[in-house]
Amino acid sequence: MSQNDNGSVLQFAPFQSLVDEGFWHRLSSLKLNTLGIDDSPISITGFYAPCSHPNVSNHLTLLSESLPMDQDDKLSVSAIIRGNRNRCSVPGILYNTNTIESFHALDKQSLLKAEAKKIWEDIHSGKAEEDSAVLSRFLLISFADLKKWSFHYWFAFPALMLDPPALVVGMKPTSQYFSLEEAESISAACNEWRNSSSTTDIPFFLVCIDSNSHATVRPLKDWEVCQGEDSKLLFGFYDPCHLPNNPGWPLRNFLAFIYARWDIKKVQFLCYRESRGFADMGLSLVGEALVSAPQGWRDPQSVPSAVGLELNRGKKIPRCISLAKSMDPTRLAISAA
Amino acid sequence: MVLSQKLHEAFKGTVERITGPRTVSAFKEKGVLSVSEFIIAGDNLVSKCPTWSWESGEPSKRKSYLPPEKQYLITRNVPCLRRAASVEEEYEAAGGEVLLDNDDNDGWLATHGKPTETNGDAEENLPSMETLEIGKNGTIKSISSYFGGEEEEDIPDMADYEEPDNLIETDAATLQSTYIIAHEPDDDNILRTRTYDVSITYDKYYQTPRVWLTGYDESRRLLEPELVLEDVSQDHARKTVTIEDHPHLPGKHASVHPCRHGAVMKKIIDVLMSHGVEPEVDKYLFLFLKFVASVIPTIEYDYTMDFDLGSSSN
Repeated sequence: MSQNDNGSVLQFAPFQSLVDEGFWHRLSSLKLNTLGIDDSPISITGFYAPCSHPNVSNHLTLLSESLPMDQDDKLSVSAIIRGNRNRCSVPGILYNTNTIESFHALDKQSLLKAEAKKIWEDIHSGKAEEDSAVLSRFLLISFADLKKWSFHYWFAFPALMLDPPALVVGMKPTSQYFSLEEAESISAACNEWRNSSSTTDIPFFLVCIDSNSHATVRPLKDWEVCQGEDSKLLFGFYDPCHLPNNPGWPLRNFLAFIYARWDIKKVQFLCYRESRGFADMGLSLVGEALVSAPQGWRDPQSVPSAVGLELNRGKKIPRCISLAKSMDPTRLAISAA
Repeated sequence: MVLSQKLHEAFKGTVERITGPRTVSAFKEKGVLSVSEFIIAGDNLVSKCPTWSWESGEPSKRKSYLPPEKQYLITRNVPCLRRAASVEEEYEAAGGEVLLDNDDNDGWLATHGKPTETNGDAEENLPSMETLEIGKNGTIKSISSYFGGEEEEDIPDMADYEEPDNLIETDAATLQSTYIIAHEPDDDNILRTRTYDVSITYDKYYQTPRVWLTGYDESRRLLEPELVLEDVSQDHARKTVTIEDHPHLPGKHASVHPCRHGAVMKKIIDVLMSHGVEPEVDKYLFLFLKFVASVIPTIEYDYTMDFDLGSSSN
């Protein structure tokens, strides 16, 4: 894995999920007050941010704001719910079943496939260019046992499979890849992107470096404009992963997008990472991915295979959390006595 | 909860309801903050340490005296690589602990296990936090009953539901088994990297900021607050750090009790002023978080930005 120079298979660190207690509280109240036995899928919002510490990855986090508002407090607070630099919004879908049996009976593979198909369609329709967060679309299935206050759940982060897989060449920290001047300019441009409230939660972007070593960060839709210029082009993304030799999961669909949309087979990518909230060129990685995808990829009708079911401690099993201690009124009454 | 603590909470709640928020600055005189000063200090923290953000929290718990989009401050996914309890053991083994104040046994511990940047002599002169009255009434007994000694008997064995193999095993592009990464050089292979969500609320009664901790274990599952106490300096666990309802979020969370915050901040401010530094109110949270670091020495939240403590007269 350390030998990247001859073009080894590019391996992506899977996304990890983290669910805040508030999410389950609001799901319970939605279920009791609004949804009833309606188990149709719900659009939810996950949040993530670039890795900001050399020792821990960032996660796809669900908060109570991830769910739609309860009817009774539906006061227009949507402006507040918007992302900020520490919580970039990612669209997801929740299938919450009414029984544990139907939870286990859900066909996870076809649900995963259905989400992958949406990503594929967004790539071809151009939607991903406008709203790049759709590339990280995720799936959550759950069963909320409101009698026992326990929640069974399973995440999936659908990734379109390149077959054969992409190879990687010469991946290294940005500070080593570029000259000092270029690295500093990239760092400044990224900080500017992150500090502007209009771009701070846009997780995929372009970095153009002109012949004077001056870098600018641009939205994906500026790709054609960048072509006309004599500049180096990097495909950047907010990397939740902290590992020194692997990019995080969002790069997978980004590569698929870059290849399918623009037919680029040699992709210089930037895994953008921070420390203490500022661009860190020692943690951020740059590498070149070599994509050689089969014919089918040119056909928008044939959806590639997808992977991405989250593992639980290395096993393919769902997760479960019991919140009886903070939700069960009987136990609360006892502890308050 | 102990009865006295409950009574105090009820009293505090009533006072908060019937009294207005502080509007006159008493930052230098009492070490406390008015609501608008809290916002100023919070805005400065968010701009200098961007891992912190303002949030609005549960709509039903919103405080009318704070702007809806600035109810509290939070920084998420803060690593905690080692347990404070074990750090202290190692430290004691290496020559004993250092109290910043030797007059009694409840002085603040020196911040060992921290990044060693210091701000000159100001830090050595940090005052001690005096014995907390509530803490003297004993430890909080209800924690075990609240969280239940019984195991999670209701949770079925998930292994029964393990899925048959699918593509992910054979997908060469998925990095295997990275879901836990240890950075512990220990040889027992127990992974200890927890993460914390650290939030700061405004306590209207004490007129100071208040710190709350929500912990996640190494596979990012919610930690019971009881286990959070392992990451609190053992001098403070169960005394200054208690487990209570979060004012903006659901559930019970560990919190550094604010009853002495004003006094401690006042002492820090006095020390600064005696060195000819005029403290500015927008730096309040940096000073505050520095002193909170002595309570949670191994939680690596961001307060370390280089900053000018105030307008120095020299």
